[in-house]
Amino acid sequence: MRRVEHVMGFPVSLRIDDEGFEGSAVDDLFAWLREVDARFSPFREDSEVSRLDRGESDPGRLSPELTEVLDLCERYRTATGGAFDVRLPGRRLDPCAVVKGWSVQKGADLLRAAGARRFCLNAGGDVVAAGGPWRVGVRHPEHADRLCTLVDLTDGAVATSARYERGDHIIDGRTGRPATGLLALTVTAPTLTLADTVATAAYALGAEGIEWAAARPGCEVFAVTADRRVVRTAGFPSAESGQVAA
Amino acid sequence: MKRALPVLVLTVAGLIPVWRYTPSAPEPAVAEPAPAPSVSTSPGSTTRVVAGPTVDTEKGPVRVEVTLDGDRISAVRMLQQPDHPQTTAAVPVLIEETLEAQSADVDTVSGATVTSDGYRESLQAALDAQGS
Repeated sequence: MRRVEHVMGFPVSLRIDDEGFEGSAVDDLFAWLREVDARFSPFREDSEVSRLDRGESDPGRLSPELTEVLDLCERYRTATGGAFDVRLPGRRLDPCAVVKGWSVQKGADLLRAAGARRFCLNAGGDVVAAGGPWRVGVRHPEHADRLCTLVDLTDGAVATSARYERGDHIIDGRTGRPATGLLALTVTAPTLTLADTVATAAYALGAEGIEWAAARPGCEVFAVTADRRVVRTAGFPSAESGQVAA
Repeated sequence: MKRALPVLVLTVAGLIPVWRYTPSAPEPAVAEPAPAPSVSTSPGSTTRVVAGPTVDTEKGPVRVEVTLDGDRISAVRMLQQPDHPQTTAAVPVLIEETLEAQSADVDTVSGATVTSDGYRESLQAALDAQGS
């Protein structure tokens, strides 16, 4: 079965190959993503994130989920020396970069718990897959309809941070200016929580983010620098036909 | 798992001065002095294969072999590693390539649909339409 829905500001497409898979788990997945949007979007005035940002909630009595998200944000702020920061001066609290991967991974866990064995979940370009092989193309940073590499994914996640659509939307918290050292950076990891956060944090770090991400346990990296060089880790799971001569 | 990374990097860094990755805060955990590395050189070329000593980490024994092409690392191989999926990721060897455009049969696309506007023109939209 396949389903595409528009949630959290981007399209979420799901494909499940298990014969006769019960549809209610799919409904639960999309309901969870809508709940996440309502509770954690900084663009909704009544969300938990907006209320915290306006000082209307007691920081010591946040929901367990928001506490988990903010703890993750803080861990990556420290790990990147402040390059990744969801509390930038003069801007609203914006944990979107962590919320996206974290919530979509939890959604994938719902499917798995309901018995799904072979599925592929793509949320705005970030992917969780199970029971592969799945062939995941990585969008070319300069051509929307072309790929720059192919990933062979069995069970795991792929996330890409890039400049192409929303422009310079990732800020380097150390300078307060848009991160411009990379055109795109893709991370594969066992979970999307890890892949998405590492990809965004590495992108904020710029060119030095490539080695930083490569050293994160469980992560493999494919990056295109601002001067159009491709740098990848030796263990990046390139699909056979996607390999380019070095 | 955090500790295994500096140990591995330190081991290799001790063997190869041109190692490109330097840990910010290595925590040496090698119990005894490392034996001399074994080096084999194929005649008439600058390719050398260097095997490091076996190092005990908290995840188990680790031994790394590095192939040098001149003073460039062309390959790193784990000769011995603990049965732990994250061990290989602890040695970040970066490879440089040129940016090439590809089109191929894929199941899904990463990075294609950051926004809804972008989705409409994306390869992912075509894939989703095809499968419905």
